[in-house]
Amino acid sequence: MTRLSDEDLNKLERALAESHRSRQEPSLGADWVRHVMQDVRREAARPRQALLSAGIAYTVRQAAAVAAALALILVGSVLVYTGQDTVELAALLSEEFETGEPLVE
Amino acid sequence: MQATWSTRLGVQTPVSDDLEIIHRVLQGEIDCFAELIARYRQHVARIVTRHVPGDRVAEVAHDVFVRAYGGLAGFAGQAPFEHWLSSIAVRTCYHFWRAMRRQELPVSALTEEHHQWMEQVLAAESDDRFREQVKRREAAELSQWALSHLSAENRLVLTLLYLDGHSAREAAGLLGWSVAKVKVRAHRARQTLRKLLRDEWERKDDDTTQ
Repeated sequence: MTRLSDEDLNKLERALAESHRSRQEPSLGADWVRHVMQDVRREAARPRQALLSAGIAYTVRQAAAVAAALALILVGSVLVYTGQDTVELAALLSEEFETGEPLVE
Repeated sequence: MQATWSTRLGVQTPVSDDLEIIHRVLQGEIDCFAELIARYRQHVARIVTRHVPGDRVAEVAHDVFVRAYGGLAGFAGQAPFEHWLSSIAVRTCYHFWRAMRRQELPVSALTEEHHQWMEQVLAAESDDRFREQVKRREAAELSQWALSHLSAENRLVLTLLYLDGHSAREAAGLLGWSVAKVKVRAHRARQTLRKLLRDEWERKDDDTTQ
C-alpha cells in the first residue's frame, strides 16, 4: 500500500484550495433585492412591541437580581454583626412580624 | 466630515456616504436600506459563495442583510460598513452550518472518479496539467466532501485561513474570536482535513488490492 507523503498532501491541499477559490458567486438581481426589502420592512414593522417587552423583562430581571443580592448582603451582615444564629434571627423576625400592628385607616 | 473610501469593491464608495444612509435608515427611512443592499450585495455574495453550497448562496445572502438591518443600531461606525457587514456574513454562514449539522444531512461518498482525480493531481508535473485538474468537477466535489466532515467552527476557520487566504488576525476579527483560538482551531481543522485525505487514499488502495 502506498502512503501519501506530506508533500503529496500539500499538493492535494493546494489543488482543493485553488478549486475552492475559483468558485463564482451568483449575480443577485433586482428581484432578489425586492425580496430582501420585503423581509426588512416586515422586520421593521414587527419588533417595536417585542423589543419593548423584552426591554421591560430585562429590567425586571436585573432589578430582581439586584434586590436578591442586597437581601443576601443584609442578612449576611445582620448575622455577622449580631453574632446570633439563624434560628434566633428567624424567631426574632417572625416575632417582629407577628407583633406588628395591622394597618388601620 | 472627511470622506474615507472603501476600496475593496470594484467601485469606490465613500464611507461617509454609507454612514449618511445608515443614519437615515435608523431615522425610519427604511427604503434607504435598499441602497446599501445594492452596493454590497455582490460583496456579500462573494463571501457567502466561499462558505455555503452554490444553490444556497442567495438564501444565505438574504439572511445576511436581514440580520444586518436588525443589528444596524449597533453599528458604531468606527470601521467601514463593509467590514461590519463581512463579519455578519461570515457569522451567518457559521449559523447556516450549525443548522445543517442539526439536520444531519447524509454525506455522499467518494467515487472512483475522485480517487482518479487525486492520482492525476499527484502525477501532474507541469503547472498547466495541475491547473487542468483544479478546474475539474471532482475537485469541487472533493473539497465539499472534505469540508462536510468538519464541525461548523473548523469548517469556517479552515475556509477563511487556508482557502480564502485571510490572516489569523483578520479571521479573528470576522469571527469575533481571539487570535489564539483561531490558530488552535485552524491547526486542528487542517490536521483533520489531511487525515481525511490520507485515510481516503488508503481506503482506495485497500479496495483495489482486494
